[in-house]
Amino acid sequence: MKIILTGNPNVGKSVVFSYLTGYTAISSNYPGTTVEILTGKAKIGGFDCDIIDLPGSYSLEGDNIAEKVASDIIKKSDYDLIINIIDANNLERNLLFALEIISLRTPLIFLINKCDIAKNRGVKINFTEIEKILNVRIIPIIATVGFGFDVLDNEFKKFTQNKEKYIPDIPVPSDTIEKWKKIGEIISKVQKIEHKHPTFLEKLEVITTTPVTAIPFALIVMVLSFYIIRFIGEGLINNLFAPVFNNYYFPVIEKLRNYISYDTLKMLVFGKNPVPMEGFGILTTGVYVPFVVVLPYVFSFYIVLGFLEDMGYLPRLAVILDKFSHKIGLHGYGSIPLIMGLGCKVPGIFSLRILESNRDKIIAGSLMFLVAPCIPQTAMIFSILSKYSILYTFIVFIYLFIVGVLASFLLNRFIKGISSDLFVEIPPYHIPLLKNMICKLNIRIKEFFKDAIIAIMAGIFFINILDILNILEKISNFFSPFFKNIFSLPPEISSVVATGFLRKDIAITLLTPFNLGLKEIMVSSFFLVTYLPCLASMMVLRKELGNKNSFYVMGFNFIISLIFTFIFSILLNSLKLI
Amino acid sequence: MTSLEGGVMEGISLSKAPNAKLRVLKILGGENLFKKLSIMGIYEGVIIEKKLNYKNGPVLIKVANSEIAIGRGMSNKIVVKEEK
Repeated sequence: MKIILTGNPNVGKSVVFSYLTGYTAISSNYPGTTVEILTGKAKIGGFDCDIIDLPGSYSLEGDNIAEKVASDIIKKSDYDLIINIIDANNLERNLLFALEIISLRTPLIFLINKCDIAKNRGVKINFTEIEKILNVRIIPIIATVGFGFDVLDNEFKKFTQNKEKYIPDIPVPSDTIEKWKKIGEIISKVQKIEHKHPTFLEKLEVITTTPVTAIPFALIVMVLSFYIIRFIGEGLINNLFAPVFNNYYFPVIEKLRNYISYDTLKMLVFGKNPVPMEGFGILTTGVYVPFVVVLPYVFSFYIVLGFLEDMGYLPRLAVILDKFSHKIGLHGYGSIPLIMGLGCKVPGIFSLRILESNRDKIIAGSLMFLVAPCIPQTAMIFSILSKYSILYTFIVFIYLFIVGVLASFLLNRFIKGISSDLFVEIPPYHIPLLKNMICKLNIRIKEFFKDAIIAIMAGIFFINILDILNILEKISNFFSPFFKNIFSLPPEISSVVATGFLRKDIAITLLTPFNLGLKEIMVSSFFLVTYLPCLASMMVLRKELGNKNSFYVMGFNFIISLIFTFIFSILLNSLKLI
Repeated sequence: MTSLEGGVMEGISLSKAPNAKLRVLKILGGENLFKKLSIMGIYEGVIIEKKLNYKNGPVLIKVANSEIAIGRGMSNKIVVKEEK
């Protein structure tokens, strides 16, 4: 049995999908969380089903990529049933899509979700009446707590006995505006909205959207997020991960080191020397970097991001940033891929799909690589600059931000066309559910383990091999005049640059053994963040933007990186800031 | 504000309208804009509520009981009249 899940964006399809399949899909409170098609297996009413979770769409006629993908699959009709999910808080707007799929004459079941929130907001829906009018079986649910799924099980059993009965046969006007008129009639019969005193969340919505208060609030949120991420990250490193590594893991490794007499193997596995950040052994640096330095920050970043996502703050931030974003050729929703990119570029690049035009995607993609170092890179920069004042870490990030803005400003001038306009639904705030937050954190940490840890270890192995074969030295010799004369960096850096795009976090770790000065660390950190995307994001970028455009983005960023590393080096050297 | 036919119409663009209940009189744009807006419930004749206006930035409206942010360029093309 093949079932597809459809509905408007942000109605909770991914929560329903997770509940049914047990496979956890990332869900957040903003339109466009799911941009890919997810498939999973579930048992509904005792039957084995393949479930396909489609990206949310407002209409089968919609023109963004995610909507087109969804409507193509819906129109193929090679499935047994559509389960369409409706947000009880937004019944009216959700009914347009509902009427469109009713007119497809295919078996349907509707789930009306978020009934609890709707009730608190004074929305009363007459479910029996709407069921009668639409001629579709309707089940009220609260997906986050699993309410209503037993009813779905029973209904599904009935469905398997008589599928024809689930094909609605009411007349539906073909014109969109005529549909809205019909929806108006339906709503007047089935929905009553009681005026209630605004809840705390509703008041907060007003405060955080009204310009006078919203801008200071946004600044506070950003600064606070930065400090909380750092506080949790550093706290975990100093109180948990580093002590465990130093007191329990490392002594064991040191003992093992003595058992191995073959030098090359010893170097590969245990490193050249016992300092965890300098030795570059698979079991020393290869464990220290991902587990002790990076993982705590991945954890703390995604706690904060998860909270903001589930609350529904991101679309409001997009509205606030809209005016500014237009100056650099984007609309406010372009800030969402950037924020995702601060975690990891791969999901960041995927979420470029919420932008419509190629122009928007190129500018946002390019900006993402310049201003938004992913959390493993950020963690390494924090770590390598930790012996100096936090001011210098700030300078690096502020310089990244300025360069990114300047670069997008240029792109906006160079690329023909104008930026598209913001046009997005702003969902009401929700109180983040701990269960969903933990679930999501779990997925993201797993992704990190799956993609990053093996890649980090493989990267370290690869670099050691190059070193043993003396290839690193040859590369260094070739590029060193360039780095020495133009960026005033020690010639050894060139070997880091040559291998650093494999994993950016290793690239920055590779700087440690050189005992660089503060200025040199700052300049090389900037260069390593900006010069090329890491291998994984390069591949995803190519997939999303195509060969030509991704080549342009990388080429443009590479040139910007060279120019501004040069300027950074001159600034730091001549202004005597440090 | 002049209408597409060139005649004078009473009405102002959504970006300049006060924060109030408004009736959409005309959408000055092509097929694409028309479709894009109508999918979200914004079409000629419908009543919307303007909630917020960011100076030279987006506007926030309420239509079909949901809030939608509309960029400046697009809101300039929506002609509305205050609904008493």
